[in-house]
Amino acid sequence: MAAPVPPGAPRPGANSQPPPPRNVNPNYQTNPNSLADNMQNLNLNRPVSMPNSGPRPSPFGQQPPFPQSGGSAGFPGALPPMARPGPPPGMMGRPAVPPTGPPQSALPANVPPGRPLGQPSGHSSPFGSRPPPGSLSSSTGGAVLPSSAFPSSGAPSGGVAPPMPGARPNVFMSSPPLTGPAAPLSRAPAGPLSNGPPAIVSGALPGASQFPLAPSASQPPVGPPLTMMSARAPAQAPTMRSVLGSPAVTSPPVQPMPSASPFSAVPQARPPPPGSPYGPQTWPMQPQQGAQAPPIPGSTQAQPPRMFGMPQPPTNQAMTTIPPAIGQPGAPLSGPSKIDPNQIPRPIPIPSSSPIVYETRQGNSANPPPPATSDYVVRDTGNCSPRYMRCTINQIPCTADLLTTSSMQLALLVQPMALPHPSEDPIQVVDFGESGPVRCSRCKGYINPFMKFIDQGRKFICNLCGFTDETPRDYHCNLGPDGRRRDADERPELCRGAVEFVASKEYMVRDPMPAVYFFLIDVSMNAIQTGATAAACSAINQVISDLPEGPRTLVGIATFDSTIHFYNLKRALQQPLMLIVPDIQDVYTPLETDVIVQLSECRQHLELLLENIPTMFQSSTTAESCFGAAIKASYLAMKSTGGKLLVFQSVMPSVGIGALSSREAEGRTNISAGEKEAHKLLLPADKILKTMAIEFAEYQVCVDVFVTTQTYVDIASISVIPRTTGGQVYYYYPFSAVSDSAKLYNDLRWNITRPQGFEAVMRVRCSQGIQVQDYSGNFCKRIPTDIDLPGIDCDKCILVTLKHDDKLQDGSECAFQCALLYTTVYGQRRIRVTNLSLPCTNMLSNLFRSADLDTQFACLLKRAAIEIPTSPLVQVREQVTNLCINILFSYRKFCATVSSSGQLILPEALKLLPLYTLALMKSTGLRNDGRIDDRSFWFNYVSSLSTPLAVPLVYPRMFAIHNLSTKEGDESVLPPIIPLSSEHVSDDGIYFLENGEDALIYFGSSVDSSILQQLFGFTSVDEAPAQFVIQQYDNPLSKKFNDVVNVVRRQRCSYLRLTLCKKGDPSGMLFFSCMVEDKNASGPSYVEFLVHIHRQIQMKMS
Amino acid sequence: MSEMANMDSEGIDAVRMTWNVWPRTKVEASKCVIPLAASIAPIRPHTDIPMLPYAPLRCKTCSAVLNAFARVDFMAKIWICPFCYQRNHFPPHYAMISETNLPGELYPQYTTVQYALQSFPDPNNSNATQLPPVFVFVLDTCMIEEELEFVKSALKQAIGLLPEHALVGFVSFGTQVQVHELGFSDMSKVYVFRGSKEISREQVLEQLGLGSAGRRPTVGYPKVLQNGYANTGVNRFLLPASDCEYTLDTLLDELQTDQWPVQAGHRASRCTGVALSVSAGLLAACLPGTGARIIALVGGPCTEGPGTIVSKDLSEPVRSHKDLDKDAAPYFKKAVKFYDSIAKQLVSQGHVLDLFASALDQVGVAEMKVAVERTGGLVVLAESFGHSVFKDSFKRVFEDGEHSLGLCFNGMLEINCSKDIKIQGVIGPCTSLEKKGPNVADTVIGEGNTTAWKMCGLNKSTSLTVLFDLSSTERSNVPGAANSQFYLQFLTSYQDPEGKTMLRVTTVTRQWVDSTVSSEELLRGFDQETAAVVMARVTSLKMETEEGFDATRWLDRNLIRLCSKFGDYRKDDPSSFTLNPCFSLFPQFMFNLRRSQFVQVFNNSPDETAYFRMLLNRENITNAAVMIQPSLISYSFNSLPQPALLDVASISADRILLLDSYFSIVVFHGMTIAQWRNMGYQNQPEHQAFAELLQAPQADAQMIIQERFPVPRLVVCDQHGSQARFLLAKLNPSATYNNSSDIAAGSDIIFTDDVSLQVFFEHLQRLAVQS
Repeated sequence: MAAPVPPGAPRPGANSQPPPPRNVNPNYQTNPNSLADNMQNLNLNRPVSMPNSGPRPSPFGQQPPFPQSGGSAGFPGALPPMARPGPPPGMMGRPAVPPTGPPQSALPANVPPGRPLGQPSGHSSPFGSRPPPGSLSSSTGGAVLPSSAFPSSGAPSGGVAPPMPGARPNVFMSSPPLTGPAAPLSRAPAGPLSNGPPAIVSGALPGASQFPLAPSASQPPVGPPLTMMSARAPAQAPTMRSVLGSPAVTSPPVQPMPSASPFSAVPQARPPPPGSPYGPQTWPMQPQQGAQAPPIPGSTQAQPPRMFGMPQPPTNQAMTTIPPAIGQPGAPLSGPSKIDPNQIPRPIPIPSSSPIVYETRQGNSANPPPPATSDYVVRDTGNCSPRYMRCTINQIPCTADLLTTSSMQLALLVQPMALPHPSEDPIQVVDFGESGPVRCSRCKGYINPFMKFIDQGRKFICNLCGFTDETPRDYHCNLGPDGRRRDADERPELCRGAVEFVASKEYMVRDPMPAVYFFLIDVSMNAIQTGATAAACSAINQVISDLPEGPRTLVGIATFDSTIHFYNLKRALQQPLMLIVPDIQDVYTPLETDVIVQLSECRQHLELLLENIPTMFQSSTTAESCFGAAIKASYLAMKSTGGKLLVFQSVMPSVGIGALSSREAEGRTNISAGEKEAHKLLLPADKILKTMAIEFAEYQVCVDVFVTTQTYVDIASISVIPRTTGGQVYYYYPFSAVSDSAKLYNDLRWNITRPQGFEAVMRVRCSQGIQVQDYSGNFCKRIPTDIDLPGIDCDKCILVTLKHDDKLQDGSECAFQCALLYTTVYGQRRIRVTNLSLPCTNMLSNLFRSADLDTQFACLLKRAAIEIPTSPLVQVREQVTNLCINILFSYRKFCATVSSSGQLILPEALKLLPLYTLALMKSTGLRNDGRIDDRSFWFNYVSSLSTPLAVPLVYPRMFAIHNLSTKEGDESVLPPIIPLSSEHVSDDGIYFLENGEDALIYFGSSVDSSILQQLFGFTSVDEAPAQFVIQQYDNPLSKKFNDVVNVVRRQRCSYLRLTLCKKGDPSGMLFFSCMVEDKNASGPSYVEFLVHIHRQIQMKMS
Repeated sequence: MSEMANMDSEGIDAVRMTWNVWPRTKVEASKCVIPLAASIAPIRPHTDIPMLPYAPLRCKTCSAVLNAFARVDFMAKIWICPFCYQRNHFPPHYAMISETNLPGELYPQYTTVQYALQSFPDPNNSNATQLPPVFVFVLDTCMIEEELEFVKSALKQAIGLLPEHALVGFVSFGTQVQVHELGFSDMSKVYVFRGSKEISREQVLEQLGLGSAGRRPTVGYPKVLQNGYANTGVNRFLLPASDCEYTLDTLLDELQTDQWPVQAGHRASRCTGVALSVSAGLLAACLPGTGARIIALVGGPCTEGPGTIVSKDLSEPVRSHKDLDKDAAPYFKKAVKFYDSIAKQLVSQGHVLDLFASALDQVGVAEMKVAVERTGGLVVLAESFGHSVFKDSFKRVFEDGEHSLGLCFNGMLEINCSKDIKIQGVIGPCTSLEKKGPNVADTVIGEGNTTAWKMCGLNKSTSLTVLFDLSSTERSNVPGAANSQFYLQFLTSYQDPEGKTMLRVTTVTRQWVDSTVSSEELLRGFDQETAAVVMARVTSLKMETEEGFDATRWLDRNLIRLCSKFGDYRKDDPSSFTLNPCFSLFPQFMFNLRRSQFVQVFNNSPDETAYFRMLLNRENITNAAVMIQPSLISYSFNSLPQPALLDVASISADRILLLDSYFSIVVFHGMTIAQWRNMGYQNQPEHQAFAELLQAPQADAQMIIQERFPVPRLVVCDQHGSQARFLLAKLNPSATYNNSSDIAAGSDIIFTDDVSLQVFFEHLQRLAVQS
């Protein structure tokens, strides 16, 4: 369980590093108080956790220190200790930082780390528990536990839950809060085991927070308790905590509750500053699917968990049965036969009504971020929000060897324009006037909170390259006693991880470009007849009003079939003038000026035109499409400004520049070649489009393609253009005018209205010792260090892989700075700078503890996607599996305490890695039975996919909607999440499954017709229409269902493409192919897969 | 000199020949100096020409058409072809023929007859008796607003004047070419072609969706079928004038000047070449045999793509004659080659290119000349689209009635001639069809190597100059006296403005004369006016085609040779020299030709020269003679208007002179007249006579202007005024500043070093009599 994570390490650190407190502490202290309040809430959790801890202790027992501590700590005790541990961990983490932690504030300081730890480790559980805590206070641990329970995941049965809850919950509860601390502790112990304790300690703190749970869990204490990793984690956690708590925090903790509170606070601590209340909530979110906000209370927890099988109760049971099997640390699998499918690790959704508050740094140390999928509010205290940038490991290995040993990837996932939480402070804009932002004169790094000012502030040391720069005279400021500039807190660039600088002239090669939107619509026969053209026109027509007002917004429109039709929208004309470019081998723009005009000047013409287009081409019998030529011509029209080119394409480009052939069909007829080089179909057919795309990028034209088709269109080739120009592909297959029009509109609307920038250049700089190896995502790269983004928006994420070029110093921090120079839609030139400074470590266990599962998986996913078109599928699948096995093996070999070889031990932080790996292997992209276009779309979609959406893509969320509760007072809109296993799909149920892009609605064969009637307006499954549009009927169930869908849409920033699935029908097959835990043609069942991994690890061990 | 007076010199046949009697041998012919040539106006209307509503009979061997000179055996129902002496039977429908019942073509006075033929048979559409004419307007938009407005209004007016059934297309161009799809009802729709890229006919058809393979169905076009055009798709672009007048009006109202930016210090980017290519390509989609013209309205030089005549950089001037001479016009040859290819395409399609160029600078007429001339197109060069030269000329093109140009299409000229006569070629608006035959000469002048020529466009006044040679084989007068006559038959088939196919047959006969025996007859057969014009045409042609050709010397040498041969003199005694009246005017023509814009090109731009020459080549002899030697009429109180000497001495303070130099008409008021006029005497009732005097030349000028196409520039000026140069330039400089002492008061002098006619004659006499 996550709980185990106990950040023992931190504490040690704290202990060891008590020395120099930092200024920060004071704040923390105050926080603690507030935290204390929270703590009470947490208390509830603790009790719950306690139970679990109880059982676990024994396992821990094996590991003397922790277990004991855990045991001794007892819930109450444990909590307090935990709390302290937290602080220490913080300290620990800081070790490098030392000063902060130790001092009185230490505790608070620690707390923060503890929290992180708690979160991470507990991920779901701890957090979940915490948030609940607040609510729980009343309901008490019971509820809380569940959340924490997730760790125990094992416990599926609701039945068990009730009884268990009470006890375990407490345990868990404690554990969660404890978790934070616990983790450190565990590490501490672990530390000793693997590395020197101290070292661990430090590492533990930060890492601990998240990882702790897992790792710590994995560590001796946890292991034993729960068979499953998750299960153990919690168990350990408690123990750990107690242990940790006692050591470090002891005194403060005295009052278990208070202390606990502090700790919990601790976790909250970070939050505490903002508001203690948030803190708790935050955590709850942590569970990966934190999305479900509403149901925070214990009650909800209890239920949801059960649903998922995660509930603690099961845990207990699992414990009993499984314990033997489990190794100390991870969740061991004693033997395949013994595995209880209900107890294997699964993502635990922790519903929460309010988001977690997360401070990016606490006690002058990086605070590991909550899971990407959770609902959290960031307070930028030096590091940027994890939404903008997060690292696969929240501690940076000092050496390349260490990283290699861990088998993990070191990479950043950068999403520079990511949508903030509504409650977050907006990024502050700093204007340095004409001189532009202060930068390092050597590496050109931008001023940031980690630049160290020396010599009375006259100089500063660049945290990226280490060079000592003179402070510009007008930027000079004296240092305070703490060594910081006195004005540091007033200057966003010195106290915030993310700021935006107003770009001076120096950053402009020309005036900032206007916001240009050029719509290009397929009007070939097919597009007209399927209604795609009409849908596109209507979508555009509706969206026009959402375009920014003002003279800087320019629009243009063109249509194409076998020729390209531009339209002169100038107001002076009585009606639009159609300009046809017939030479599709060598295109050009038909007008220099009036093809793209100010929106305000052409609104009426545009609307009229959009209304007319579908009828104007109604009788067209032109089947050909000159897509390539059309975008080239449009580009030429936009060349002088750049801008967004939105293309609506319905058939395969068959004529003109970049015409494509039906490779898919050829591949089928030529079977031998097709099989041998199947992946070649996923590569662009030729270089023409790529060359074009690079040209587009050079002139800042960003292309988005909306593919509304019934046939193969060779997305592999087409997608090169959006990928290279910072755009994206939208894929509607098979396009249905009835059901897809709304999504098309919504996609288009979001595309245009979402926060975005133009003509951007991005570069990531790293501290000495680390350098950027490569970027991947949707952009154009002309020089190795920078990437050009004609368009960048809040949904686009870029994978930045890193490599060592030198050793890093243990205890130091490694900084990453992403600078994005872009133009806003309002024509301001800005530089968005996001900074992340992470501690370095020499401890392998720290790496595991601080591993970020979501980020790691996103990285894995993206790398697999890159491989797909160039390598045989078998090879890609093998690589994916091996990566998973290698990581687990590394952990098993170097971090886990000795245990029965029959146990599969998983690091707490990565306990879901096997599940996600399995899901990935069964995903569209890695199956070989999929349509070529589906696969092409899949890996293109992945290339810019953000971290929070990575997991859902392969491991969708499934809800039952036939029994949506409609009772009053239930705040949670989303029903519990159901594991993706056909066992959980009953014949009389209706299920809603979504992956962030598509949604399936599945009807069992014996669904109650009244429910059908209520939800869909028909009474029999047979009446289900092929083209479906969700409607709201006047009944609570339907209303609730619509609410659910809307909440999901909002969460995903996607309208979701709805498909009705019926049993025994191809659509039903589609649905069941999403049941990734089932055994099917594309892979083994989850349990089998775990067994397979276990075997592989065993083989490697021997 | 009056034009009217000379009308009949061409008679019913509209044929004028340099020599009306021909020497029998090639050697003799060459001694005549002036080539054997005939100027014909193939379709000049004449009230006496009979219209025959049936097909002509053709000789079965030489395919000459039965004519008034054929010997007919009414009994045997046989006719003997005067060209090849083949005996041909009359077909059954001529059974009624008898000496008293002759078909029209056999009436002796009907040496020219016209047949109305069945229109081109269309197997698919037997109803389509007539193909409507097609007009594609190609409008340059690279001009200032004001000019564009002028040209727009001219266009609107023109479209209103078109016959309702005529099909109209519209193409505008600037940096790019825009082909307007007039048949698209939903909105204005244009096909845009880039100006910088050469485009083939096939590409144009394909890209306009008119290709045979990729014929794209029309979108949003009302399915109006008309005369078999429906299946080609071209009716998307070409609509009956009555249907599209409104559309075009609207379109023209909205049409703006070219929107592409023009760099400072640069010319506008104008792709005239591609515009013409595209228009020609569009017309290629019309049914074969359709009469169509591309009416190009150009406001500046082509600077973009094929056909470019000058770079966009304004610092580089458009080529001058000097540049052409020194081969310093980098674009010239390429451009000519390009327009030549357009000409070929248009000729193969049977379509016409008309060029209306209005600009202060050159627009490339020199380069485009080939396309205009080969297709028989009209050309008008003016300074502005607002100028009457353009406005009135343009209107004339479309006007009906008395002054209608009588635009015809798809003309084909065939020439049959008696044995031993060889055709060297034709100078004028036509293209050789490369139809070889026994009558084709080895040497080629102009469009040669053929006995048939295509005239895609022709009108009432179109004239051609046919140059003949004689067989070099020494002929024994085998047929004896029987062939003291030789025959020439000109067959011109064409499609008249109503779309009916006509065939006009002109058969002329002239006499052979043995010049060694009697040069007197030869002398009397000399037509000096025609000779002068032919010499001018040949000189122009040689100047264009022969490298380093010294026109003045060549003319002088020929004149001297002519005078030596035909003058009466004693050797080496210049004073004894006299010329037969039949020749007496010729030296003066030569004097003026030497000074004319045709020979002295350096005073003009290549565009102007090309323009002048095109008109020289296509006008009838009378008009062409005016171009060479303007006519001058004097108006005074004392006498009726009378011709005046083309001499500076004709200028007098109390006279009004009317100079007609064809391209411009000058009304020149003597000093005194001008003063009176300025004082307003003409407005006083008592000076009615003065008012009339003032009015008379104006009225005559208007008469000339009405008759003429292109409309000449009217210059009204006063003695010593700046515009007076238009008159002075044409006058014989008998009084210059060199000899100003002995001039009459009220007269004038010309500041020139040019020799006067008198001096010229003196030299001529001296040289002619040299042994």
